[in-house]
Amino acid sequence: MNEVCFKNLDKKDSWSLAVYEASGGYSVWRKILRGELTPEQIIDELKASGLRGRGGAGFPTGLKWSFMPRNSAGQKYVVCNSDEGEPGTCKDRDILRYNPHAVIEGMAIGGFVMNATTGYNYIRGEFIEPFNRFEGALKEAYAAGLLGENISDSGVDFNLYAHLGAGAYVCGEETALLESIEGKKGQPRFKPPFPANVGLYGKPTTINNTESFASVADILSKGGKWFADLGVENSGGCKLFSVSGHVKNPANFEVSMGTPFKDLLEMAGGMRDGAKLKAVIPGGSSTPVLTADVAMAMTMDYDGIEKAGSMLGAGSVIVMDESTCMVETLTRLAHFYYDESCGQCTPCREGTGWLYRALKRITDGNGKDGDIELLLNVQDKIMGNTICALGDAAAMPVESFLRNFREEFEYYIEHGKSMVKG
Amino acid sequence: MAKIEIEIDGKMVRAKPGEMLISVTDREGISVPRFCYHKKLSVAASCRMCLVDVEGAPKPQPACSTPISEGMKIHTQNEKSKSSQKAVMEFLLINHPLDCPICDQGGECELQDVAVEYGSDVSCFSEGKRIVADNDIGPLIQTDMTRCIHCTRCVRFGAEIAGIMEMGGTGRGDHLKIEPFLTEGVTSELSGNMIDVCPVGALTSKPFRYELRSWQMNSTSTIARHDLVGSNINAQTYKGNVKRVVSGDNDAVNETWISDRDRFSYEGLSHENRLLEPQIKIEGQWKEVGWHVALDYAVKGLTSNILNNHQSDQLGVMASKTSTVEEFYLLQKIAREIGSENIDYRLNIKNLDNTAKLESNIKLGGLEGVDHALIVGSNPRLEQPMINHRLRKASLNGTSVDVINSMKFDFNYQLNSENIIAPNQIASTLAGVLSSVLASVSIELPDYLQSIKVSKESASIAEKLNNSDNSVIVLGEHVVNAENSATIVNLIAQIAKHTNSTTLNLSTTANSLAAELTGFVPGSKGMNVNAMLESDLKAYILLDIYPEYDFHHADKAIDALNDKDNFVISLNGFKNDIVSEYSDVILPIAAFYETSGTHININGDMQSFAASVVAPGESKPAWKVFKVLADLLKLPGFNYVDSTQITEEVSHQAHNNHLHNENIDLSITSDNINIIWQQSPYSIDALLRHSGSLQQTKIGKLNFAYMNASVAKDLGVSADSKYLGVPVVITDAVADRCVFVNANKATQTGGES
Repeated sequence: MNEVCFKNLDKKDSWSLAVYEASGGYSVWRKILRGELTPEQIIDELKASGLRGRGGAGFPTGLKWSFMPRNSAGQKYVVCNSDEGEPGTCKDRDILRYNPHAVIEGMAIGGFVMNATTGYNYIRGEFIEPFNRFEGALKEAYAAGLLGENISDSGVDFNLYAHLGAGAYVCGEETALLESIEGKKGQPRFKPPFPANVGLYGKPTTINNTESFASVADILSKGGKWFADLGVENSGGCKLFSVSGHVKNPANFEVSMGTPFKDLLEMAGGMRDGAKLKAVIPGGSSTPVLTADVAMAMTMDYDGIEKAGSMLGAGSVIVMDESTCMVETLTRLAHFYYDESCGQCTPCREGTGWLYRALKRITDGNGKDGDIELLLNVQDKIMGNTICALGDAAAMPVESFLRNFREEFEYYIEHGKSMVKG
Repeated sequence: MAKIEIEIDGKMVRAKPGEMLISVTDREGISVPRFCYHKKLSVAASCRMCLVDVEGAPKPQPACSTPISEGMKIHTQNEKSKSSQKAVMEFLLINHPLDCPICDQGGECELQDVAVEYGSDVSCFSEGKRIVADNDIGPLIQTDMTRCIHCTRCVRFGAEIAGIMEMGGTGRGDHLKIEPFLTEGVTSELSGNMIDVCPVGALTSKPFRYELRSWQMNSTSTIARHDLVGSNINAQTYKGNVKRVVSGDNDAVNETWISDRDRFSYEGLSHENRLLEPQIKIEGQWKEVGWHVALDYAVKGLTSNILNNHQSDQLGVMASKTSTVEEFYLLQKIAREIGSENIDYRLNIKNLDNTAKLESNIKLGGLEGVDHALIVGSNPRLEQPMINHRLRKASLNGTSVDVINSMKFDFNYQLNSENIIAPNQIASTLAGVLSSVLASVSIELPDYLQSIKVSKESASIAEKLNNSDNSVIVLGEHVVNAENSATIVNLIAQIAKHTNSTTLNLSTTANSLAAELTGFVPGSKGMNVNAMLESDLKAYILLDIYPEYDFHHADKAIDALNDKDNFVISLNGFKNDIVSEYSDVILPIAAFYETSGTHININGDMQSFAASVVAPGESKPAWKVFKVLADLLKLPGFNYVDSTQITEEVSHQAHNNHLHNENIDLSITSDNINIIWQQSPYSIDALLRHSGSLQQTKIGKLNFAYMNASVAKDLGVSADSKYLGVPVVITDAVADRCVFVNANKATQTGGES
């Protein structure tokens, strides 16, 4: 536990440059500056590590970095997505708070590999403390001569800036994030072209999650195999899980991929007040909900969760006990997506509002026959028809809640009140 | 580029790699529904209506943003495509008010049309519909944003074409609202195009509101005559009245956009001030009479005043710049047949001995390809909006633009340099440019350049022109009355010659190229307008002239025309007290849209048009009036049945040009205050001055004499007073020793100073 991003968590001032360097921090970066590591070596090591994008999509990081046209002329950018907005997740916040230099080193390495001399870390608008912590770390890194132009006479340039968002969930979508950095309204771009070809300010850009960047330096110093061996097949390394909900000690846990869910639940102190587990959303609010039995049998890795019928996502585990009304929970989730849809494309703009209003009507006691079919129908019409994944994210929970807890919905519609709460 | 083959609905189709799928399906006549896509705007891919099934792609792909590649297989009609399209249609309709019976777009609504095919009869949406509060965005565009489907065509039009993002999306999710950012609403000179691009009834024409259904109207294609472009437009008419004007497509001329001036000027046609009956003045009293009586009276007047006395050279004829080719041609033909060469249309020129010729030798489309432009004395955005649009497109593609003007204007593209100097310094700046250009190609300097010191600004302008492979020099209206205007023009011609630049002459507008082509200029024995006004002529024929707006020497003109010994025949479309005062016969004539004719644009295209409606009351197309007048005067060669016979005759005529001053004289260095007098963009002709909605716009209200504080002090005026009848604005945007006037219909005085 706590072997990569959180390895200094128990140390005093873990966010300081001194603590980071004492644990081997910036040794990879210095090696690069001395010319002892090539981009190809780095990419090979990352591929060997099995590191997959920690923001939710799970795309292999080494492969992603190899897509960048590093030898093409012109400016290129590397961007860190710290717009951690998915309900249930709070892992990147703690990386920025307790280990910001790992993010800086990871981004600098990424910049070197992809020949991008400028980086931006886009930090969620509400994260004032993490933002300040990261800014402090940037100052330290610049003062120590680790960033800037022609760093330590290496001929390597890397400038890094933090950019505070303004509170839109959709800016966690990588192209909306780029729009936001450019000073425009945060709306996803249609793809193709992809950011690796046309990204920030129209230049090739690679965007990775905070946790992905924070894992890079350790992978390179200890080896891809070491990292891969921390996890299981197809899910290399360890992963931060944010466990929230009806548990005794909600917290972030960095554990090996493949850890059984029931062990993770135990780490979080088990169920609160001895209550019985009812449901788990394993990867953040956009991923399908699972029933207790299925969850308890599941292991926490990409394949394990997929086998259980959901997705690892950003590792945001929302635990619900038997006092939870699934109709009201879904209504709350639907409200979130309705509120956060950027509004540019039709199915999401109109569909999220429709889903929320219909659910609100049900929880107001005005449900009617056919509402379940209506909800399924609307989510199906959003699914796959939108510019970005927010539409799918809004649709998916509807399908899984209705599939797993249909009788609660039927009860609410028929009786005008919650089956659980009465 | 080699073409590739793709398969659409089982049919093999060849297309360019990377081309967007929707342009291929459009070309092949395969119907793919769409709302946000517009061929002249950037791709948004946001409405999702054009989703189609591309084999191999897990999700349906939007045809508007899917570049094609070799071997792609596309199904536009299968279940996957149709179900996505129907899903999007349903989403679009849930919050749409479906108030088609009371919506102005009904019958020409893209949403309505597509809903017929893709919509369902029954809605399963039972929640409350969204209501959007409306802003008043100005006198031209009516908003009803509850109907908006957020396609953002209007937003993209503003940002990409008009060059000013006046509409934008605020809020998010289903609170997203398309609205102007500023309370002054939409003020662009091209704003009306938003009505055309809006697929639904969210943005409709305010003057046309609740008038008619589109299917009740006839549509005739015609040509707009307010500028040098001759935009192709469609006049939509009902029971003999023009009810609305929309843009026509012509990539070589106006693409698919038109200026607000061209779109809304039709309102003037039905103004209460229209002149409807022929009138003659008997013993100082006006009397409405029939055409026979009026024309007899006109012929008698001409006969007794000049013809009987063998004083045919005592006839002067003048016409407005907006006249058609046929009108110019017939009027000069009458004058020449009678024996007079006193012919002119250049009423607004202060000194006609001080003019020089500059040809336009670049086409509108060519403007987009230049790599550098030098603009001298022009505010192209308001004066020639569609030409400015081409310059803006060029600029967005990287063309650099230098400007020499006497006032800072609100350009909607980046300028490389903006040199703000008074008109009488423009010549010396250009002389510096020419000197620098000649030096760089090692040509010996002519005498007049020997003593010229090349300023830093001139050197930099010269360098840009020298280094450019494809540059254009644009000459505008502001220097026509400068003390050394001929010198300025001739310097530009020289600079263009030595830098291989093309030239674009915007110094005179509307249909003035037709006047030149038809010989509507003084002949070798004739007088120009200013000479006529000083010569106590015995008779005049005046075509569509309103002296207080049209003449530079307005007071002198009104005095001369009022001479009680002369006989004045006026042909006008609108009533005017000053015209009534000096005329002996007033003949009501057809305005724009009411006559057939021809306009010649800056490309040299002769664009002929038929009448869209019949002229009101007793008014007649001027060419017919001239034909009958000529017959009554027993002049030979007026045997025309329709106006196209005249057009043909004109095409076969040799050019008949007046003399030009070819001197370059740099000795004029007076310290006088320069006055640049410009009619406001929406007051340049009689029809515009009677167009109610245009007059209420921000541009229509431009009526200011701009000057800096020191000039105001010298002239003894202040910010709350008037100069030459125009309210004064004190600003540093104007060059020193210079007053820039934009006068609208509220100011009834010429540019005399």
